[in-house]
Amino acid sequence: MPSYKLYYFNVRSRAEVSRLIFAAAGEKYEDVRYEQDEWPAHKDEMPLGQIPVLEVDGVKLPQSRTIARYLAKQFHLAGKDNFEQAKVDAVVDTIYDLLNAFATPFFEKDEAKKEELTKKFLSEELPKHLQNFETLGKLYGNGGHFFVDNQLTWADLLFYNYIQSFMEFKADCLNNFPWLQQNRAEVEKQPKIAEYLKNRPNLQF
Amino acid sequence: MSTYKLYYFNVRGRGEVARLIFAAADQKYEDIRYEREEWVSHKSEMPLGQMPVLEYNGVKLPQSAAINRFLANQFHLAGKDNFDQAKVDAVVDTINDMISKYRPIRMEQDEAKQKELTKTFLADELPKHLQNLEGLGKLYGSGGSFFVGNNLTWADLYFYDIAQHILELDENIFNSYPWLKENRQQVEKQPKIAEYLKNRPKTSH
Repeated sequence: MPSYKLYYFNVRSRAEVSRLIFAAAGEKYEDVRYEQDEWPAHKDEMPLGQIPVLEVDGVKLPQSRTIARYLAKQFHLAGKDNFEQAKVDAVVDTIYDLLNAFATPFFEKDEAKKEELTKKFLSEELPKHLQNFETLGKLYGNGGHFFVDNQLTWADLLFYNYIQSFMEFKADCLNNFPWLQQNRAEVEKQPKIAEYLKNRPNLQF
Repeated sequence: MSTYKLYYFNVRGRGEVARLIFAAADQKYEDIRYEREEWVSHKSEMPLGQMPVLEYNGVKLPQSAAINRFLANQFHLAGKDNFDQAKVDAVVDTINDMISKYRPIRMEQDEAKQKELTKTFLADELPKHLQNLEGLGKLYGSGGSFFVGNNLTWADLYFYDIAQHILELDENIFNSYPWLKENRQQVEKQPKIAEYLKNRPKTSH
């Protein structure tokens, strides 16, 4: 059994999906969280000078998306064969498309413009992305509530994680998307996930 | 016998890496290229209304990264085990980080502004991404010229394809990055790749 060490800041953000995967799989790891002032001393230790990084038996792996996929594959939460894994990857890529699209309003410096862009995004753009997720869930989900093949995969965990942030901006954003609401409810019901959600640090983001 | 159909426009763009993977693997597929006017009538046939799409044994898969990774896994060009596959994915994600900085510049309509942004990109942004990629090649490449494990993987094909766009900005750029220069030359020398490069349609991008 390899030894796992996850290095990140003390936030959810880009590492949380990996923590959810460890939790769902019931697997142990060292959850290293750097405070902002600690980080500069460790930057040079990381392959790209960034975190999150996963250390597996002493070898470092950067890139949050890659880390999550690797852990999911190790713990059989990635899809049962190449094509199922590809469907999971397609859902994951579609979630990241949404995040990238939201970056424009999110990082806008002018406060008034930011408010306007964010409002427009949440009411016009976000529903289109949510529609895409429902389409994929119905196409690949085999009639179940999970995105692919009627089984929990990291696509469900990633969706769960990031939609939480959007719901903080707009609590009713899933109102017209019953399939997605059901999907999140199924994730929350998983005993190991429920336990993890109850006990994880209460962080702003 | 599995059947593969790739749907895209008649350009390299986001479809070329899949074509390179098929070529490297000497695998037959239907290379469907829609002209812009044709595409309108096919848009609703695609899961997310976008291309590229891979149709595998009659089932459609969107998202170029998911498609590329699936094909690489099918044809043993993805890395020999989960961890090597993760190293390949980390290189791919790092290439994506580089492209995400470049795409907005390509989309800029104002020619004078685009020229200015390109200059800044080449001077301030691009070097650290290329250094990161050289760093990963030396970390994971087992002393060879390929990115991971001294074997050709889709990370090498992806870098080869993206580098072609960068060379259009500065044809001498890789003189400062000897490891990356050698990596591209090794890709070009692969007989099936050389054959494909010689015969593929010449497109604008």
